[in-house]
Amino acid sequence: MIDTIIIEGLAFALPMFIMAIGGIFSEKSGITNLAIEGLQGFGAFAGAFAAVITMGMVSAGSQIPYYVSFIAAVLGGMLYALLHVMLCIRFKANQVISGVVVNMLAMALTSFLTKRINEALFGAKSDKFILDTSMRFTVPGISKIPVLGAVIKSVYPFEIIILVVAFIAWFVMYKTPYGMHLRACGDNPQAADAAGIDVYKVRTWAVIFSGGLSAIGGMSYAYSISANFSPSIYLGFGYLAIAALIFGNWSILPTFGACLLFGFARSGGQVLIQHLGMPSTYNDLVRTLPYVVTLLLLVFFSKNNRSPRALGEIYDKGKR
Amino acid sequence: MKRFLVKLLGGKEYQMLRISIFSIVLGLLAGAVILLLIGENPLAAYMNLLQGSGLLPKRSYAGKQNMFTDFVQLLDAMTPMVFASLSVAVALKGGLFNIGVSGMMMASGFVASVLVGYSSLAAPIAKPLVLLIGIVTGAFVGSLIGWLKYKFNINEVVSAIMINYILMYVITFFINSYYVDAVSRQSKLIGESARLTLVDVRAMGLKFNIPLAFVLAIIAAFVIRFLMDRTTLGYEIKAVGLSRSAASYAGINIGRNILTTMMLSGALAGLAGVTYFCGYMGTIQPGVIPSMGFNAIAVALLGNSNPVGCIFASFLITIITRGSIYMSSQQGVEIELADVITAIILIFAACSEFFRMYVSRLEQEILANSQSVE
Repeated sequence: MIDTIIIEGLAFALPMFIMAIGGIFSEKSGITNLAIEGLQGFGAFAGAFAAVITMGMVSAGSQIPYYVSFIAAVLGGMLYALLHVMLCIRFKANQVISGVVVNMLAMALTSFLTKRINEALFGAKSDKFILDTSMRFTVPGISKIPVLGAVIKSVYPFEIIILVVAFIAWFVMYKTPYGMHLRACGDNPQAADAAGIDVYKVRTWAVIFSGGLSAIGGMSYAYSISANFSPSIYLGFGYLAIAALIFGNWSILPTFGACLLFGFARSGGQVLIQHLGMPSTYNDLVRTLPYVVTLLLLVFFSKNNRSPRALGEIYDKGKR
Repeated sequence: MKRFLVKLLGGKEYQMLRISIFSIVLGLLAGAVILLLIGENPLAAYMNLLQGSGLLPKRSYAGKQNMFTDFVQLLDAMTPMVFASLSVAVALKGGLFNIGVSGMMMASGFVASVLVGYSSLAAPIAKPLVLLIGIVTGAFVGSLIGWLKYKFNINEVVSAIMINYILMYVITFFINSYYVDAVSRQSKLIGESARLTLVDVRAMGLKFNIPLAFVLAIIAAFVIRFLMDRTTLGYEIKAVGLSRSAASYAGINIGRNILTTMMLSGALAGLAGVTYFCGYMGTIQPGVIPSMGFNAIAVALLGNSNPVGCIFASFLITIITRGSIYMSSQQGVEIELADVITAIILIFAACSEFFRMYVSRLEQEILANSQSVE
């Protein structure tokens, strides 16, 4: 029972974590990013499309489409993030509003394109790209260790990808000059500019990275939750990732904690329902758990929360 | 070209209105390009939008329907959108971002359905009661978000998102457990006496769905305009929205102000909820957060957070959403295409501040040129 909680909790928490890191990149550079929801959806769309195409080219059971889909998702997410970049940086739009419209367009565009593509390529009027079910692996031997062993039991390959990417992202953010510039741009862009940093360029790349990272999360959910891409990918997990990063005070490690909390609250609730043999309608009540827990914890921990100082402000070189 | 742009969008008079219209035209043009690319006739498609929403006559009508009944249907669909966009606009004026409209709508719609919709109260009592419950429920959720913000420093966007999901799942649970209609898998239709839309009213040999609250929505817009422009409360809300520290220095109580703004915004969202769920729809779909609450953010933006602007923006967006059903049946294009066009319009609207700055720079350029010629 505890095993299930850990296995399913991690499978839910890690994609959320990578999306939240995406959000941290963007917000630490000073660009509010509500567009995570749309970015992850568009990424999943691009990835699923690529997977469906490659699935026709390779033999059944091949793992190639799986990895192709993640690469395509990252590229798609980065490309789509350019829209948010353009609106927020070039056209100086209100960043919150830009996020909302970017999400709206992602939802409309991906469902429209999915139907079109399905009709044109496969002659079927469907709003879904059906994917292969993802393989899961168990590390033999040490996974037998009680409780802790569950961490390496029936792991999705994407969980490994996420952990590796997350480590690289952490390294870039805290150990490289670019990361320092990025954080400077979010706290005091004027000073960063005076020090010779191109604020627009740093922010542009930050948002593009954010798109790529969110897309990994979206693609993972497409595999783990439904094994297809459909408009139901827009379940609001992108928004939940934003809550996680704010809860984690815009730092990567505490955000990881927040995501684990979401994941375990969710899987724990579901296991509890099954265990007590309650009717399935109670699932809906249990689903509120991650949100209720977050809200309660925010009540206690928000006092010391400090967002990046220049978050959401439009940077205007001429204004000092 | 530059001179033409300046002539079109420059000057102070109704500048924001002209820029909004400019964004709409750009969006429609971009939509036309997409339609051309997929091999459809944009003019015919746009005609269908107007026909589907009762602004142009269709080729044929089902029994007891004509252009006028379609138009009344449009007003019915538009009523909640006006309230929802007003709700967002009020919060924006106060420097707050109300992304919780959807949750507030569900809560008020659900509470009103359960308390009044399934009761046997007579219409003259039931209908005002539904409105009142909508206002109170919405205001309660709104002030909860405001309270969390000023008491515990919780970002209103985050708490609103959490509350949206909590409300949606709790309401879904109650609907599925107690109020579900076995056939439609939605909540049972509410009684006619409580419904804010008079369904299938026969007059002049036609059948109408009359939105009772439409007039109320228009009145609400003007009340909000009066409140914002002519009263101390409105002045304070706007002052806090412009600069929290300056307002605090001027002696305005920020905490109370945040609470009042969210309460007002919530009350309007509550009205949107009852006019949507107890009027236009008559039922609640469990498990889904209504997208209207998110669209309302963009609609308020298109209306430049101006109450009267919200009426026109709602009108436009509702034409596209209502008309898209007819468009898709006539042209055989996917219904999502209408959402794509809407989103593109809103993307251009999000750039309105850029257009304004760009035009004023052009103005100065032209002015400088003409002076150097002299």
